[in-house]
Amino acid sequence: MAGVTHALNAVADGLRLPPEFSPSSRTPLIPVMELGGEAPPEVRRVFEEMMAFYALDRPPAVFRWLARDPGFCQDYWAATREAFTERKLDRRTKEILALAASLTAKSDYGVDFHLREVRRLGLSEQGLTEAVEVVQCFNTVTKIADALQLQPDFDPRPGG
Amino acid sequence: MEIVRVPEVHEFSPEDQKFLEASKAWFKIGFVPKMGRVLRVVPEFGRPYSRASRRAMSDGALSRAQKELIAAVVSAINVCEY
Repeated sequence: MAGVTHALNAVADGLRLPPEFSPSSRTPLIPVMELGGEAPPEVRRVFEEMMAFYALDRPPAVFRWLARDPGFCQDYWAATREAFTERKLDRRTKEILALAASLTAKSDYGVDFHLREVRRLGLSEQGLTEAVEVVQCFNTVTKIADALQLQPDFDPRPGG
Repeated sequence: MEIVRVPEVHEFSPEDQKFLEASKAWFKIGFVPKMGRVLRVVPEFGRPYSRASRRAMSDGALSRAQKELIAAVVSAINVCEY
């Protein structure tokens, strides 16, 4: 989940794709596909699936960019959908983690997208505050740890 | 290699030692993590920071487990080995 989020954010911000929900003066460096006649049928099917998944009236710009290569877009979407599908973690928790990844990476596109998602999925303002506080605290200590080159002292697999 | 010497618990003031010893129970471990000790090297920073961090990581609208997952994602994105 963190991996696909980080990668989608990198492409979206790198290509200066406008955020989906916030006003922006960004102009894409490379044109993205619009949802219309130009999309081949297999891409339109994927677009419709992601619009349902995110309750959007058009596919996210980053996937409209990926649609330049329909096969890649189909597979990358399938992987993204799988990463965000509820299993041991519920979907809202996964979106909170994606928001944390986006904040940490300073991704305008990702913060905008996942902030809307966590709210749409019912995260309270208190929950949002708590999530951002944790992001703030751990951005503090990770920088301190790196600056001092602290070696890990925790066993990441307690109990084996 | 660490670029500073991380003090041992007994080198801190009694107040700070008490907090640091309590961190074992917080993390359910048998030692005091280096980060806690590093933060207390400057108590005027470490004490309020630790209070803020403990407050942020406690169960609330989000569970502590969810918060630890957020912490892990932040650490991963920052490629922080510690």
